[in-house]
Amino acid sequence: MRIKSALAAAAVVALAAGCGGSGGDSGSSGTPNEPVKLDFLSLAWQKESVAANKALVEEWNKANPNIQVTYVQGSWDNVNDQLVTSFEGGDAPDVIHDDSPALSGFASKGYLLDLTGKVPAELKADIPQAAWDTVTFDDGKGNQGVYGVPFLQESQVIIANKKLLDAAKVRIPTAGEPWTWDEFAEVSKKLTKGDTFGVAWPMKSPVNKTLNLALNFGGTFFQTGADGKTTVKVGAEEKEVLQRIHDQLYKDKTADTSALGMGTADPLPGFFADKYAMLPVGVYLRQQVAEQAPDGFEWVTLPPLKGTTTEQGAVSQTLSVAADSKHPEEAMKFMAFFLNGPNQAKLAKGDWLLPTSQKAAADPAITTEENGWDVATASAKSLVVAPFLKVNGFDEWKSKVATPVLQEFFANKITLDEAAKRLVEEGNEVLERYQR
Amino acid sequence: MTATATKPAPPARHARGRQRPRQTREMWVLMLPALVPVVLFSVGPLLYGIGLAFTDAEAGRNHETSFVGLENFADLLGDGDFWSSMRIGLIWSVTVTVLQFLASLGLALLLNQKLFLRGLARVLAVVPWAMPPVVIGLMWRLVYHPDAGIVNSTLGTDINWLADFSWALPAIIVMGIWSGMPQTTVVLLAGLQNVPRELYEAGAMDGAGTWRKFWSITLPQLRPIIVTITSLDFVWNVNQFSLVYVLTQGGPGGQTRLPMLFAYEEAFRYGFFGYAAALGVSIVIVVLGLLGVYLWRQLREAS
Repeated sequence: MRIKSALAAAAVVALAAGCGGSGGDSGSSGTPNEPVKLDFLSLAWQKESVAANKALVEEWNKANPNIQVTYVQGSWDNVNDQLVTSFEGGDAPDVIHDDSPALSGFASKGYLLDLTGKVPAELKADIPQAAWDTVTFDDGKGNQGVYGVPFLQESQVIIANKKLLDAAKVRIPTAGEPWTWDEFAEVSKKLTKGDTFGVAWPMKSPVNKTLNLALNFGGTFFQTGADGKTTVKVGAEEKEVLQRIHDQLYKDKTADTSALGMGTADPLPGFFADKYAMLPVGVYLRQQVAEQAPDGFEWVTLPPLKGTTTEQGAVSQTLSVAADSKHPEEAMKFMAFFLNGPNQAKLAKGDWLLPTSQKAAADPAITTEENGWDVATASAKSLVVAPFLKVNGFDEWKSKVATPVLQEFFANKITLDEAAKRLVEEGNEVLERYQR
Repeated sequence: MTATATKPAPPARHARGRQRPRQTREMWVLMLPALVPVVLFSVGPLLYGIGLAFTDAEAGRNHETSFVGLENFADLLGDGDFWSSMRIGLIWSVTVTVLQFLASLGLALLLNQKLFLRGLARVLAVVPWAMPPVVIGLMWRLVYHPDAGIVNSTLGTDINWLADFSWALPAIIVMGIWSGMPQTTVVLLAGLQNVPRELYEAGAMDGAGTWRKFWSITLPQLRPIIVTITSLDFVWNVNQFSLVYVLTQGGPGGQTRLPMLFAYEEAFRYGFFGYAAALGVSIVIVVLGLLGVYLWRQLREAS
């Protein structure tokens, strides 16, 4: 055992020395002809999407022999833990795929490169300001900067069983005239019959979903006072959506309580078996529905619900450049290629999400009626910046306070007032730590 | 000044004095290959970690780390999440250790009998040991799956075990017991095989029944082994991370957030390295304290 570890140590030392030596050499003798090497951490996970990502990287590498990009596969499950360690260790990938909630923390810690003024004009103009807002953050010293290029967004739509909708003779909503929450509750009642529940709310991760939907009634959940301190706020606007979902579960009994513990894709078998008539889910779930639906199963994508508005909180998937990257300009060039109109259309199609690029949004491939692309793409105009994006410490609030509180509330273990009180009181304690 | 008075003595002392440093030097030279990695990879990080606990180290380039004394520990004492995590950690480690011991003792006694295919059974008992924790976690996730899991289909229940507030902790405890049984069983089995046959024969002569033999011969003979393996199991269980991380990541709502998971989250998710280090130090203190009391009592009873 001891001998083994001694040997291992010797090997490590030798290796380190070797690496250090060769690293130093290549660094000092960097000839202009030697290609620049970039690491690209991608979080694509759906099969089509991974294929689209890899194809784009290959295309770039062929066209740019001087800038060679290596595709590195990451996973949403642990990417932020992984990034914290690699930022601290100084070996972060050059181009990083992540989402805007994570960027906020990384930006304030100084891990990411501020892209202000570095994004090519064409790309900047192609992406609307609302999307840029989802990646504009404080750098921890009071300056605002752009810390990524937003490229894919998700909206909440309703995927419904067409046969059951037709049988219940309900009005099919359109983007121009969507269902209101009241109408949605009525429809759910009509669809609840025998073994069929009108709706299933998979609430394993309830926070982002509820917070994004709460904007329908103007619920922001956070407020920033005159002293610049951000606190949690749960008032009448915030409670509206919470109460409505709770009513469906326990008052109308139109939502199945056993679906509460499920992840987003888990109710699908029940959906295909007519157990649930409607699923309020993110647009990307259409991919699994299209792929797994049994033959002859008819489904439709319905536009986002309307409260006082149809506004939903948006977060974006993003590409960022690490502050430590030795080749930021080359990284930006690669990103500009990767995220141009036609390429974003490919990525959006691969992930079944909405592109931020206006050129991509006009692509026929993602405006067709097939698989609800028209409804999904149209829902993009309801997206506004999610207020929680700018909150430092949101991640901790979410996992320590909001997730358990909302889970308990939806499980009918605590009342809405108790939930509101805990969200605010315990939440403010958490946020306090980040504002010292 | 005492040169003349001490003249006769020096030669002998000198010789011995010369030999001893050489021996010590040789000993150090021989130990060096083993010591270097221990110091480099264990003692160094340990001291660094303890040092961190007294600073406000945080992730990020904009942060200046400074010495804050006992502030982290004061924060810990006032942190409700810390206490609930400690409570969960203790429930977990005590239950798992105790039940693991009882189950393993039963299994070891069984495997010590002259059974049909005993060799095969003994090998099978060790199988969970051969599995990496991540594989165990993934396997149990399937076992507990609400729709496709074997637990629900066997019991005819419809419970989402790992997402249910009251069932998640019991569910991971069952998994913990299962995954830790092999090493406990093997150690106890080795102990059982060392109990002298004559004692049982003498017991049988005196008319002792099976229970009597178990209480008066097997258990006392196994005692040192039992103390060792339960203490080790306890330390392992308190420090358990990978199994639970794979299975629940501490959810639902922190119901299975063991102390190690809590420390991991603080450090690598939220980036409060100093606070996490303080947590680590507190866990060590608690484990040492509990173990100290346990071992002290066991040793006192033994003597």
